[in-house]
Amino acid sequence: MDIDVIETIFIEEAIDDHPTTRHILKSLPRAQLIAISRYQEIFNKRHQNFRLQKKNPCLILAKKHENFVLPAPAGFGMNSNLNFYFSHMYNCIYDCRYCFLQGMYSSAHYILFVNYEEFFKSISRTIEKYPDNSLTFFSGYDCDSLAFEKISNFANHTLNFFSDHPSIELELRTKSIVTSPLMKREPVRNCIVAFSLSPKKIANILDKKAPSISQRINALKQLAKAGWSVGLRFDPLIYCADWETMYSELIAEIMHDLNPRSLHSVSYGPLRFPKDMYKKIFTLHPNEKLFSFPMKEKAGIISYGTEIEDLMSKFIKNELNKYISQNKIFRCAV
Amino acid sequence: METKIKICWVIALHAEARPLIEAYRMKIISNELIFPVYINYETGHALVISGIGPARSAAAATYLKTLLSIENYSAWINIGIAGFFKEQIGKIYQALKVLNLHNNQAFFPGLRLSNYVEGSPLVTVSKPEFKFASSVLYDMEAAGFCEVAPLFSCNELTFVFKVVSDTPMTKFDNSKKFVKGLLENNMEIISNLLMQIEEVVDEEEKRLRIPEEVKEVMANFHFTESNRHNFEMVYRKWRSTFPDRKFEEVQSPANSAKALINNLEKELLDEVKGWTLT
Repeated sequence: MDIDVIETIFIEEAIDDHPTTRHILKSLPRAQLIAISRYQEIFNKRHQNFRLQKKNPCLILAKKHENFVLPAPAGFGMNSNLNFYFSHMYNCIYDCRYCFLQGMYSSAHYILFVNYEEFFKSISRTIEKYPDNSLTFFSGYDCDSLAFEKISNFANHTLNFFSDHPSIELELRTKSIVTSPLMKREPVRNCIVAFSLSPKKIANILDKKAPSISQRINALKQLAKAGWSVGLRFDPLIYCADWETMYSELIAEIMHDLNPRSLHSVSYGPLRFPKDMYKKIFTLHPNEKLFSFPMKEKAGIISYGTEIEDLMSKFIKNELNKYISQNKIFRCAV
Repeated sequence: METKIKICWVIALHAEARPLIEAYRMKIISNELIFPVYINYETGHALVISGIGPARSAAAATYLKTLLSIENYSAWINIGIAGFFKEQIGKIYQALKVLNLHNNQAFFPGLRLSNYVEGSPLVTVSKPEFKFASSVLYDMEAAGFCEVAPLFSCNELTFVFKVVSDTPMTKFDNSKKFVKGLLENNMEIISNLLMQIEEVVDEEEKRLRIPEEVKEVMANFHFTESNRHNFEMVYRKWRSTFPDRKFEEVQSPANSAKALINNLEKELLDEVKGWTLT
């Protein structure tokens, strides 16, 4: 997916002269600029078609006014830490079929909040508020942490900030192979670069517009060799015939030639959707085989059902235990 | 009445519409309608002439939708002439933002079709514009059109194209011949735009069209509203799992809507072990 092809940029008048705006516009000199009052006037409109918009999304540059830092949902990270997340961007340049963003937003346009400085002020306040806790901040909950870095430069700013807070963990979650912003600097010890991974055959079908699994594995190994802490995220686990072999081979391929000490953590999580989100996504892709599976509903959550979830979780955990110590492996339960 | 109309044109003036009526061989369906409506079922085009103003444009679009029961995967296009702050007369633009100057309501219609046409913001005004103070297009209909057309399909299948008819340098020639010529000279671009739009319409049709098998079943069994929805959903799952199976095989021996849904669900469950993703 080439982000240079962004053709139209909507810009909130309030931030049209912000330094980040100017930097971004320099990176996209051919894009047409259209002034707007607030991003909601385009992003939250009714009767938008997420699936069609995904063909050619626009970029919206906006100012975030509140909720810079939010508590991460329970079960999102390791339980030993207090977990928070921040979203400088809504939506993603990839088009993964299982992605919850397509059920969450009515628009596929990318929103980038350019007032980065206010994110860091808010993160600072959160750190000050919990002086006695181990804190982890997650980037990449509503977007991919690195995929847009060539344009946004946000990860670079974030790493600068967290370099000054070495006791606070930062997780960048990504499927991107844009590692150059990280490779050209010294590893930030408290930063985890966590890669979302699936078996090749599954990713080829479902991770549309995303880098291949081989490319992702190469990227994570390069970072690990350069001294970065990396994370492995097998989330969501996708069920299909021969899944055991596929996941087993994937884990073996990743662990081959990877020093386990460079692994910060490994998590896995079942495929799950809130019922309304599932309905919305099914409507967008009614002919998609992933959603044809006879899913089960329990307490408003649509999933493969406990039996398959437990079977897969147990298997993955056993496979991971062959290479990685128990205390680094956890099940994501969001 | 079921139609195969895929492209719906909403156009203010007859002179603007004439090149499209001719190119897509549309015929007027009656001289006694509130708004003149032209159709060609073979080419899949319908066109309504609204008259001037946003309210008329919205009303005409709604009229066309209702009159022909247009499907929810059809594209809606407002095309016509507009004033612009700069030359060149006769150049066609896609409106990327449409602002109703009367109430400041903004719309962002359509997928961007940049291969064939430049984009511009557009302001809908209630009186003809002569000052062209902002670097935008000026028209008198698009905001009304944009307010209703997305309700009939979606925002991404709602398009506004404008041909520059007057600028601060060039006064408006309101002769029918001139106006018709502005559109006529852009027919090649319009045709290319339509090819792209039709591709998207076809894709949406595939997603949204209720399959004939489903319609037949719904006519033969009594469905509650909830069962109707469940059946449509489970049918789509079944069909994408078994693209080559004959539906009659599953229907038998089902003798009720509920039994039919159960049959489909059972077939899906039986397939779980060997589940594939394609």
